[in-house]
Amino acid sequence: MNTNLLKPGLAAYTGLFLLFLYGPLIVLAILSFQGPNGGPQFPVQEWSTYWYQHLFGATDTSRVSQLPVGESLLRSLVLAFMTTVVSTVLGVMSAEAFRVRFKGSGPAFYLIILGMMVPGVLVGLGMALLSNFIGVSRAWWGTAFVLHVVYTYPFAFLVMLAIFNRFDRTVEEASLSLGVSPAQTFRRVTFPIIFPGVLSAMLFSFTLSYDEFSRTLFTIGRELTLPLSIYGTFSVEIYPNLFAFGVLTTVFSFTLLVVYGLLMKRFTAVKSGSYKGQEEAA
Amino acid sequence: MLHDLELIQVGKTYPDGTVAVSDFDLKVEKGEFVAFLGPSGCGKSTTLRMIAGFEDITNGEILIKGQNVSAMPPEQRPTSMIFQNYALFPHMTVRQNVAFGLDLKKMPTWEKDDKVDRILDMFDLNDFADRRADKLSGGQRQRIALARGLVVEPEILLLDEPLGALDANLRRIIQNELKLLQRELGITFIFVTHAQSEALGLSDRVVVMSNGVVEQVSPPKELYRRPVSRFVADFIGSNTMIAGRSVGAGQIDTPLGLLSGQGAGDLAVIPAEAFRITPAGTPGEIRLDGTLTGKSLVGSVGHLRVRLADNREISVETHAATPGAQALTPGQPITLGVDPAAVTLIQS
Repeated sequence: MNTNLLKPGLAAYTGLFLLFLYGPLIVLAILSFQGPNGGPQFPVQEWSTYWYQHLFGATDTSRVSQLPVGESLLRSLVLAFMTTVVSTVLGVMSAEAFRVRFKGSGPAFYLIILGMMVPGVLVGLGMALLSNFIGVSRAWWGTAFVLHVVYTYPFAFLVMLAIFNRFDRTVEEASLSLGVSPAQTFRRVTFPIIFPGVLSAMLFSFTLSYDEFSRTLFTIGRELTLPLSIYGTFSVEIYPNLFAFGVLTTVFSFTLLVVYGLLMKRFTAVKSGSYKGQEEAA
Repeated sequence: MLHDLELIQVGKTYPDGTVAVSDFDLKVEKGEFVAFLGPSGCGKSTTLRMIAGFEDITNGEILIKGQNVSAMPPEQRPTSMIFQNYALFPHMTVRQNVAFGLDLKKMPTWEKDDKVDRILDMFDLNDFADRRADKLSGGQRQRIALARGLVVEPEILLLDEPLGALDANLRRIIQNELKLLQRELGITFIFVTHAQSEALGLSDRVVVMSNGVVEQVSPPKELYRRPVSRFVADFIGSNTMIAGRSVGAGQIDTPLGLLSGQGAGDLAVIPAEAFRITPAGTPGEIRLDGTLTGKSLVGSVGHLRVRLADNREISVETHAATPGAQALTPGQPITLGVDPAAVTLIQS
């Protein structure tokens, strides 16, 4: 292909790609500004923020009942937070263990990774049967939480494994050789250096858990998480208040991503500098 | 007498049976500068890491000031290690790097600050004390690493190819600094290198290693003049080796005639600078006939290529001012004289 056409061609392709990627979201966002009498489809009757107000119960009376997501949103956030903490701690610890080859490290690796490979519906069903069998009642903070960790921990583990893979062990040795204990060496040398990786592992764990559906479906018990309760509203009739809510959670996710990006920028500035320096030295 | 460092029959065999180091014996006195020299993979770095405690030993004992440290973890040993890649903490400033080893020690703050200030001063690092370490040049970073390793006042400083990452110019400068520093502090230095010039130029004694075994432990000059094995004779300097058959004390019979030298064995080792282009005619002098095949004068040093009677080509060093050196032309016959005192006989 002519190089003069290549660049505009690639640009157009990329533009189209992004459009398809975000198309659904854009449609959702437009329809969320539907007027009070509009439905969940085009055309937009009149532009308003009515459904946003509706979401927070700020409209007087309505033919539509308020979206019952308040509690499940909180539940999902707490669950995602718990999952993030546990998965990241486990991920860091086990990746640290995998820095040296130990007896059974091969099988252990595949067993950990399996947690994210097996079909969620099956694991969920299995967990439900198991909890029935041993007489444990299903709950978001119990059975569902365990499965969220099983699912997200491999991601955190893999992220940390990649980080440790390019970690320069001699800085730890330097610290030990200065008489600093292994525990203090981890706290003051290793952890600050791997921190950007820890942030990534946390982001993965949080998003995957916050969004989890299939595993949660069978193990949640009576109190639902956000994805499940939203799914539940589909069985009635869909109104634009759902779209408004969708836009708000997306904004929340973006905020999370921006915070992550800023933190990364702050902490990787240190790291990339050191790598550059080491290349110069070599 | 109590040695600063003592290695007794130290060995390391990996679980798969590979032998990294075996039967390493060494006694180092306080304030000595010892270099481990050898080709890569000879076990010199492994030995250093065993002294530091980063590698466990499977044989023998390591003693520091008479105390057996063989089973002691690295953070409890009175050693400090300097790494080729500096291993500075990228998330800390120069001062924080240097102060790191003292931070967790029980010691009044003013005393810590005092020590850090003094060592920063000593290494000329005051101007960068608050900069991040990774923004500085290689030479400065190695100085920071040295300051960081020395501020904790180790009994022994272990240096693993500390000049390897520097360019030639800087290497010479830091090399000089190291030598001065070591004299000044009187701390024992163990220095690992694969560069002959560093080992011979810096150390009081050199440990030559090959294949996990110590070949020779000698002062540099001795190593140069009296190699004890074929490996050392090959590795150090440029020697001519002539094989023969031992015929009594200090004499071997070779295809080039009867050669005498110091020691016993069936291989004569002649250093390149021991050859004289005009035999002195002293009694007992070794004479070797040959043909000059090439000549180059670099400054005041002349390098001659001479083909001996057995058809081998050897290189001979001579001073350009030596009478007759200028007149030599390739192709002409030449008789080389060697003082038997400069010849070493070893077992091939």
